Formats: sequence, C-alpha cells, structure tokens
Amino acid sequence: MSSKIAETPLRSAAWRISLWATLAFAFGTLLVFLMLNRFVANDIQRRTDAWLTGEVESLAEISEHTPKDQRYARILSEAAELASKEVPNRTRSHTVGNDSVFFAEEARDGALLLWVGTGTGKANLEAVHGAHLEPDTATDVHIDGYKVPFRVAMVPTDEGGHIYLGVSQRDERRVLENLAWRFLALGLVIVLIGFVIVFYTTRRMLTAVREITEAASRIGQSDLSSRVPTVTSNDEVGQLALTLNRMLDRIENSMHQLHTITNSLAHDLRSPLTAIRGKLEMSLSSANSGEQMEPIVSAIDELDRLSEFLNTSLDVAEARADALRLSRSDVDMEEVLRAMIGLYEPSMSDKGLKISLHNGEPVHVFVDPALVHRLVANLLDNELRHLVAGSSVTVSLRSEDDAAVLTVEDDGSGFAKEIKDRLFERGVKGQASPGHGLGLAFVEAVARAHGGSVTAANGANGGARLEVRLPLAVQPVEVEPMMVSAD
Amino acid sequence: MRVLLVEDEVEIRSFLERSLTEAGYQVEVAPDGATAEELAVEGSHDALIVDLGLPDVDGITLILRLRQLGVKAPVMILSARRTVDDRVRGLEQGGDDYLTKPFALAELLARLRNLLRRHGSGGNPSTRLRVMDLELDLLRREASRGDEALQLTPQEFVLLEYLCRNAGRVVTRSMILDQVWGMRIQPDTNVIDVHIYRLRGKVDTAGHEPLIKTLRGVGYVLKDR
Repeated sequence: MSSKIAETPLRSAAWRISLWATLAFAFGTLLVFLMLNRFVANDIQRRTDAWLTGEVESLAEISEHTPKDQRYARILSEAAELASKEVPNRTRSHTVGNDSVFFAEEARDGALLLWVGTGTGKANLEAVHGAHLEPDTATDVHIDGYKVPFRVAMVPTDEGGHIYLGVSQRDERRVLENLAWRFLALGLVIVLIGFVIVFYTTRRMLTAVREITEAASRIGQSDLSSRVPTVTSNDEVGQLALTLNRMLDRIENSMHQLHTITNSLAHDLRSPLTAIRGKLEMSLSSANSGEQMEPIVSAIDELDRLSEFLNTSLDVAEARADALRLSRSDVDMEEVLRAMIGLYEPSMSDKGLKISLHNGEPVHVFVDPALVHRLVANLLDNELRHLVAGSSVTVSLRSEDDAAVLTVEDDGSGFAKEIKDRLFERGVKGQASPGHGLGLAFVEAVARAHGGSVTAANGANGGARLEVRLPLAVQPVEVEPMMVSAD
Repeated sequence: MRVLLVEDEVEIRSFLERSLTEAGYQVEVAPDGATAEELAVEGSHDALIVDLGLPDVDGITLILRLRQLGVKAPVMILSARRTVDDRVRGLEQGGDDYLTKPFALAELLARLRNLLRRHGSGGNPSTRLRVMDLELDLLRREASRGDEALQLTPQEFVLLEYLCRNAGRVVTRSMILDQVWGMRIQPDTNVIDVHIYRLRGKVDTAGHEPLIKTLRGVGYVLKDR
C-alpha cells in the first residue's frame, strides 16, 4: 500500500497553514496601514490648517496696515505670492502661475477687491460663500473646476469684508497617495516574505511528519525492526517520532516474544518428532514382513499428519497475530494457478472431477510465493477432498481495483449450514471431512497476512464459492533515504 | 563418502549417525559449533549436515564461518524453524539444501545423495539420458522405450527426466514437488502419486520391465539395473 499523503503542494497542510497565516498577516498589515494613513493625514491637515490660519491673519494685518492706494494690490499680491511659496507639503507645480493657492479680498457687499490665483476667482468666491466659513478655522471647500477640494481660512476685515486664503489639498492627497503606494509595495513584499517563511517552516515540519507517517506505514507492512526517522529537535514532531519508536519497541518486543514462544514450541515438539520418525524408519528398514511393516508405516503416516498439523497451527496462530514472516516477491498469480492446476488436474480427473481456469491476463501480486503456493494447494486440496465424482471446479482470476481476486467455485453441495459462518475458524470442518479443519483457517490467515481477505459463500448453483483477494503488486515507491535511529 | 554431522540433540544425532553409517557413509559427529569447526577444518568431508539450533552458535553463522575458512563441501541444513529464513534461502541458492524437522530419513538420504552428485559432477550438459532401454532426448523433448516412442506431456517429460537423472536413487514426493514443480508444499492429498501412476502407465507398458518403483511411505525410484 503506497502512502496516500498528498504530494501536491496545493493540497498539503503546509500550503493551507501558510495561506491562512498570510491572510491574517495581510489583514494586520492593512490595519496598520489604515492607522498610519489616518495619522499622517491628520498631521498634514493640522499643519496646513496652522499655516493657513497663521498666514491669513498676517495677510489681514498687512491689508490693514497698507494704505489703500495703487500699491495696495501689488503689495498684497506679493505677500500672497510669497506666502504661497511656503505652503507645507508643497510639490512644485509645473504649470505657470500658482493654481494650488488663492488669495481673495472681498468688500462688504461681496465684490471682489483683490484676487491672487488662477482664473477670475468668481467660482472660488461662490464656493466660499456657500461654505459658511468661520473665522480662524480652516474648512474644506469644493470649487467648481477642481477635482480636489481646497482648504480655506477666512478673516473678516475692518471694512466689513473678508480675506480668504485657500490652499489646494492636491499636494496633501499626493503625499497620501504616495504613502499608500509605497506601503502597498512594501506590504506586498513583507506579506510575500512572510508567506514564504511560514510555508517553508511548516513544510519542513510537516515533511518530518510525513516521513514519519511513511516510515511507520512501511514498518507496519513489513519490517518491524526499523524505526521512524528521529529529528534532532525536541519539539512536538521530535516527540511524536520518539513516542512512535517507543511504541514500536514494545510491539517488536511482543512480536519477538511470540516468535520465541512459537519457535521454542516448534523446536521442542519437532526434535522428539524427528527422533521418533527416524527410529520408526529404521525399524521399518529392518522389518522383513509386510505384517511387521504395516503398523510402522501407519505410525509414520500419523506422525506426518501430526507434524503437518503442528506446522499449520503455528502458522495460523502467527498469521492471526500478524506475525507471519513474509519473504515477498513479485508473483504472477496466473502462472501459479496454471502450475497448480497442472499439478492437481490428474488427481481431479482420477476422482471424476473437472477443473478449469478462467482468466484473461497475468495478474501480478507482491507476496510470499511459498505461502501463496500453500494457500492455493489448500484450496484445491479442499475441493479434491469434498467434491463427489462428476462435479466441476472453476478457478478464475481477475484484477479489480487494487486487488487480485482469485475465485474457486464448484457445483457441489456447497458449505454445510452449520459450519458456514465459522469456516475460517481453526478446527471447523464438515462432519465427513477427513482433514484437521485447518485448511481454510490457513488460507484466511495467509490472505490476511498479505493484507488481503477471503470470503466464502454458496454460489448461485448451490456450490461452494471461495474468493481470495490479494493486494496487487505496485511499482515500488521511490523513497528518500531515511535516517534510522541507531537501535 | 565422509560426512560431518553437526547436531546437538543426542537422540537425533544417534539415529542419524546410525542410518547414515548404514547407508554407507563415514560419519563424524559434532555436538556443537566449536567441535564442528575443528573437525571440518581438519578433515576433508564430502558433505556437512548442520542443525541450525546449536547451543553455542547459530548454524548459519557456523556455515558462513566454515566457508570463510575454506570448507567447500556442500551443506544440508536441518532446521526446526518453520518459516525459512532469507539467509537459508541465500545458502540454498549457493548450492546447499535444507530440510525442516521432522523429516523423513529417506528424504534426507535422497537429498544428501543429490547434493553430493550435484556438487561432484558439476553437471555436464548431456543432451540424452539413458536408463536401461529408456531413452530421453533432452533437446527434442522426446522419450522412447526400445523402439517405441512414448507420448508424454511436457510436464510428464520433466518428471521422467528428473527420475532419470536420479535413476537408482530414491526421490521423495516433496523432492519431486520441489524440483519438478518448484513448490515447497505438502499437499495432504495424493497429487504426486497420480502423476507417477499416469507416467508409469505410459513408460512401463506391457512387454517391458517395470522401471518406476514405489517405496511405500518414502517415495519412488527409477530402477537402473
């Protein structure tokens, strides 16, 4: 089973984490920008207003102290021009004249006495009149023909008229826009850098997790002695690896104990069995009549049955505990079935049974060949033992999704009702069956040890139908060399 | 033929020693790895029989060590372990053989003979096999008895070839399964017997001396004289 962890970065957790982190980061940056923008705008406004009110006062003073003769207009114009050159935040205008500042003096009746600025000043004056200005405070005034409002301050004159000084907010806007652009560019860079940093750190961390997962799944499938890669850092991931390895230690220990028990049991029983068998065989060779030989031969037969029973029992026990040691290789099931059927066909036809193989193409599985040979042999032995003459057995093989499906079906009387649900238990067998009831238990155990399964049912025609599923051979996944703890 | 038997179980050692001697071998015994090493290096044995579960050293380690020391004799491995270790598989590919306990004495003797023959002859690639009046053409895959051609299936031909190569020696059912079908299985039905029975029906026809003999409880032998 290849690990199904997302390899595409777009589906990885690292991607999602960094995306969310970036969003939060961008949102925070936006807030900071808004605050900063507001602060700067206020500050500029404050400075402009201070300049305006100060300047309008001094212009009013000049106007007051200047005799109203021919030079009055020139003096005031010059003073206004001069003042306009000191506008705060001013960017030099390329247009001739000065369209960012205007100065106006109006008489009591609202007639324009003096105008410094671009245009005739009529539009300005109309707008100013509509704006209800208060003395000593600056107010935003929208003037026809200008996109950007003017900030205008007003001082009443002694003659009952007013002096107005207005400055365009264009420069202020420009400063703020400039600030916004710079902030946007800088913010983008920061957010991007943040994204990259978050992405790489989480990816590094999650790669460690993925390596652990992959190693763990590999270990789960085959080799209990290897360990997940340990990281040097003592963070959560490092702890995870350590915990997993400790768990694996314990599992390996239990497995080892199970192996030791079954091995020593096997050894303790096998040695005397070997000795007994040898002695029987020796007495067989010294026996000189058929009468003497008969009991010895049958004793040997019984002994062989006993040791076969012992072997299969222990195999089933180990497989049940997922402790069957597998030496896997790529096996073509079709080839195995052909050979097996070739082996069994004579015995079958001797008993009046027919056997046929249905399948299309080779089906490759990654299994322990010896165990799978025995699995198939058990299935065919089963048929050979239970079917009555005239029956036929159909073996078929197909690949389905990620499994090779081997079906053995006959047209006999099917599984007896009383054992049907317990077919794969040890010692369960039909009443008439001469076997020891381990055959199907072994089949099931082997299939399970390979990550497959067996199902039994009575087919449509009433015959027995056994279906064995074994995982298909997959192309070995390229695995990066991993660190294995020195254990 | 000198054989070194390395086995720690007294019972098994004694009956193996006796039956090997009866079968005509000169037998030396060693109860543990250290003795085995001494004996193997001193004397030149034609074959070694090594039990994997020795008290002082693992059998495989012993074999690898003996190989390092220049002992070239083929090894018959006896194992009480059911599942076959990959290392044993490796040794088997190197020309040695293994048997799991309990084994039939006849099986051990048959395999031992096989091992010695394989090791001794080096296998000359003859294209014809001849046993009495039975003749096999290995290139054309044709068999004949006297002037009579035998109609054999490819599988039957392989089986007969195996019997011929071991003419005069006992072959057991599991040896046949192993060598002819390439399977290490122990079917509890009579699959091999039926194959032999069929083959016999074609080879030992009326008017010819029966060649394929059954040894009850042991296996089969193709008579060579």
